[in-house]
Amino acid sequence: MGTLKKIVLLIGLTLVPVPFAAAAQAQTLQAVKDRGVLNCGVSQGLYGFSIADDKGNWSGLDVDFCRALAAAIFNDASKVKFVPVTTNERFQVLQSGAIDVLSRNSTWTLSRETDYKLNFGGVLYYDGQGFMLRKALNINSALDLDGKKVCVQSGTTTELNLKDFFNTNNMKLEEIALPTAAETEKAYDSGRCDVLTTDVSGLYAERVALSNPTDHVVLPDVISKEPLGPAVRQGDDQWFEIVKWTLFAMLNAEELGVSTETLDAARKSSKPDVMRLVGSDGNFGEQLGLTKDWVVRIVGQVGNYADVFTRNVGSDSKLGIPRAENNLWSRGGIQYAPPIR
Amino acid sequence: MRAFWVRAALAAAVVASACTGSALAQRDEERPGYVPTPDEEQLQPQFQRQMVFFRTNEPPGTIIVDTPSRYLYLVQGNNRAIRYGIGVGRDGFQWSGALNITRKQEWPDWTPPPEMIQRQPYLPRFMAGGPGNPMGARALYLGTTVYRLHGTNAPETIGTAVSSGCFRLVNPDIIDLYERVPVGTRVVVRQTPVL
Repeated sequence: MGTLKKIVLLIGLTLVPVPFAAAAQAQTLQAVKDRGVLNCGVSQGLYGFSIADDKGNWSGLDVDFCRALAAAIFNDASKVKFVPVTTNERFQVLQSGAIDVLSRNSTWTLSRETDYKLNFGGVLYYDGQGFMLRKALNINSALDLDGKKVCVQSGTTTELNLKDFFNTNNMKLEEIALPTAAETEKAYDSGRCDVLTTDVSGLYAERVALSNPTDHVVLPDVISKEPLGPAVRQGDDQWFEIVKWTLFAMLNAEELGVSTETLDAARKSSKPDVMRLVGSDGNFGEQLGLTKDWVVRIVGQVGNYADVFTRNVGSDSKLGIPRAENNLWSRGGIQYAPPIR
Repeated sequence: MRAFWVRAALAAAVVASACTGSALAQRDEERPGYVPTPDEEQLQPQFQRQMVFFRTNEPPGTIIVDTPSRYLYLVQGNNRAIRYGIGVGRDGFQWSGALNITRKQEWPDWTPPPEMIQRQPYLPRFMAGGPGNPMGARALYLGTTVYRLHGTNAPETIGTAVSSGCFRLVNPDIIDLYERVPVGTRVVVRQTPVL
């Protein structure tokens, strides 16, 4: 180390002791390893995202993300303790240290990061407010909803967004606002309104419960931003990087054609991108505090992004949500991961 | 320029022997004369024709064939596309790039290629277009190649990789697409990334 660097470092040590204090607490990875299990905060039961069956087996997109982390850390995707947390307490639970990561269909916003001192690791699922209506109406665009009766849950941001969208686009809104989600859905199913609005993931979940699910379509339009993703506490950059790059690895794996099914071929690949991803070239995993084969572990035990999406919320699940925004940027969507290199 | 022609010629050669017959690998045999019922042509929800979010730089009116996901998109602009479920080439069809529709044909004829005749000697050497023809209700010819988008009398093959080259849609879908696109339409073919 050069003298100049030493001086700079000394000044840094004297003047800015705070980051060092934070760094001292920044040992999440080590704590997880010592404990032998990842504590993952999930919902109390939301089909497709995180839900336990009657035997206590968890499944869902958020659940599989934690399994991917465990696979990367322990080479064992099962080393996760799922901790259900309520909507109200979820961020405090993360702050308290009772969980290592919050993977609970939570929307990434500025105030959540600043108020609770959190970092969101990226967007696991692009959600947003949409519209469902009867196919027979033959409407393909939210801009053609002029004068339609719309069912919405009262007192929610959904209701505000709805009014705003109709106003902005000079359409007449006939709003039927009801106090609970269940009543809203029932009103739509009984034909009291032409259209039902809530977040798109919710529309697909509610469609399954309708009397004739196939008679209804969800429009491709999304009128609000609800980017859902995993969150960690501020102050532990290494842990933040691991969470972030685990998500990016799953997306990059899909983009490069590396899935659970093709993993063996990928390990023999001589394509530079693929070699870096699977660790046959470089030591990217080690730089994160993991192992060279971290992505092999993730994809082998849990899957790439497409595997996980399709299984939990996509065409292999009863929700049948199309990839839409959650498709890769190169295939019609907006999912985009920085490269591993 | 020369490289392009070499590549195009190679691509044409690869499919010339197989595409017209859409040889089936999963289902053993073609069934000329079989007319599927409307019920059989009703696809699983994820493969039914529908409007979806689709972000692309390609102009409205472009067809994008995304073989790994078994979908064909007709770009509508404003971040949306009409999505159709398709059956795609099984092996050996790795060509990707852009072509144009050069010809449209209602109820195309069918001439099974020699290797298919070898496998199923009782097949007709030629079958005039019409219901029950394995080529289905419509065909859209791509460039000067033998690639085409066509219908099928085997709706159960949508969503799978079965034909030796072409892209197949159920008859109601290929009729819908046929009505929407003129000769000259740009067709972009995307393949599964090569490892």
